[in-house]
Amino acid sequence: MYGGGNTFEGIKTEGLKEEDPVKLAEFEARIERGEKIEPSDWMPQLYRKQLIRMIEQHAHSEIIGALPEGTWITRAPGFKRKMALMAKVQDEVGHAQLLYSAAETLGKSREQMIDDLITGKSKYSNIFNYPTFTWADCCFISWLVDAGAIVNQLANAKGSYGPYCRALDRICAEESFHLKYGHHCVIFLATGSKIQRDMFQDALNRWWPPMMHFFGPSDKISIHTQVLMKWKVKMGTNDDMRNQFLDMYVPKIWELGFTIPDYNLKKNTETSRWEYTEPDWEEFKRVINGGGPCNKERLEVRRIAEERGKWVREAMKAPKQKYVTPLA
Amino acid sequence: MTSLDPRVIRLPEIGEFGKIEPKAALDQFGTFEVFVQPAEGKSFQHEGIVHASNLELAFVLAKETFTRRFTCFSLCVVDTREVFASPFTEGNQNAYDLIPEIFGQDGPKVNYEIYHLLKRGKQHIHAGSIQATSPEEAMSIAKSQLNKGKVIFNIWAIRSSGIRFTSVEENDLWFTLPEKKFRDAAEYKGGDKLKVFLENQRNST
Repeated sequence: MYGGGNTFEGIKTEGLKEEDPVKLAEFEARIERGEKIEPSDWMPQLYRKQLIRMIEQHAHSEIIGALPEGTWITRAPGFKRKMALMAKVQDEVGHAQLLYSAAETLGKSREQMIDDLITGKSKYSNIFNYPTFTWADCCFISWLVDAGAIVNQLANAKGSYGPYCRALDRICAEESFHLKYGHHCVIFLATGSKIQRDMFQDALNRWWPPMMHFFGPSDKISIHTQVLMKWKVKMGTNDDMRNQFLDMYVPKIWELGFTIPDYNLKKNTETSRWEYTEPDWEEFKRVINGGGPCNKERLEVRRIAEERGKWVREAMKAPKQKYVTPLA
Repeated sequence: MTSLDPRVIRLPEIGEFGKIEPKAALDQFGTFEVFVQPAEGKSFQHEGIVHASNLELAFVLAKETFTRRFTCFSLCVVDTREVFASPFTEGNQNAYDLIPEIFGQDGPKVNYEIYHLLKRGKQHIHAGSIQATSPEEAMSIAKSQLNKGKVIFNIWAIRSSGIRFTSVEENDLWFTLPEKKFRDAAEYKGGDKLKVFLENQRNST
């Protein structure tokens, strides 16, 4: 599971004035009561638009996220690790299917979503634009990137849109093995030889900055998302999610005797919030806009796969079929 | 293309970076609704959809997407267009209150599977089978036979002959699930190794 740190377009709430005020009030009251919104229910355009954007980004992140780990399947250390990694990568791609379906219930076709991924119009989790140089990088993703995503997804599973919540419940249940597997891999490196320990420490040094970026820009500079919080599209601020992740995993990393490459990282005992060096948000923006080390490779792999699969899809097309939006 | 992965380097050069022909409608095929019976004797419940070129392939893809990880006794799929759905209700309003009563329609009766949504936000669950001449009549009959006092927020009626069920011979599809321990969180116990490591650390300082 790889969703997280979603970027939202500038939220223009002016459009809300054009919505039917009675329907809008009913809609908000339903969310307030903790009820879910289903595809056939009335919803404001802004809600639909932002949800499509978020779920679609999440789906793309699963598909693209399978690539940096998938590359290590052929070189995984031993048969057990290979079986586990294959199962994990298959899970991620399966999660993308569930998420595309959830987004589809809002009226955007899967064809359009896949095209938008390939042309770069829609985004995915920034962290997958970095390369996995060693097996330890792959272990970092399996353990800590998945952990970060779980923090986000558990929160989002309490959101207001029924089909997305159902997909997330399923994803979270499948996810438990990924986290345990990832931790298991890192424990083996940590308790292994000096070379193995150094290999993970190097991976940690490389991946820490993108990991801090993973939860999205700081609340101080992030676009105002009050209305999305009220509608339970976004369930926590980026900084809250980051703090929760640090709370849960920094002690586990330290326990294994590794050093996190941020000397300012410490928990403030008075506020119980973590303090850290402000991540480089310029770098984050640069990578999101295509300037990361692997952006091009990731999209090319997807694009070429689409091109190569074209004749198969053509051959299998059933002319009698007609598209209807899925039900739930 | 430069990459750390030799398989990526070997990819053929096709087309141009970031450019793709916009997809025609149905490039990704139509959708099929998937229902899973998690254990023998339990009701089927709706799990989600798959895209497929036909019913048979939908069944295969549904098996992979929805029954890869957890227990499954039986699986069935149906074209989304085959699902006849009632309006959604909320609060204390029962969806059956909106179903008109239809009596004595002419024509041969066939079997319909009726699904109920008992809680908004949850999945549709199989409630029973009804013999009727149309989905409208099936809902009308279900209103008297399956409507047992609980508030139902949405009803689906699906003609049984349109559904691809799991055949008896296919029941062994899921026999190997318990053998795939590498997919099980409980298989990854690093605790002992970690404990020894931490003790050694403590002793050495």
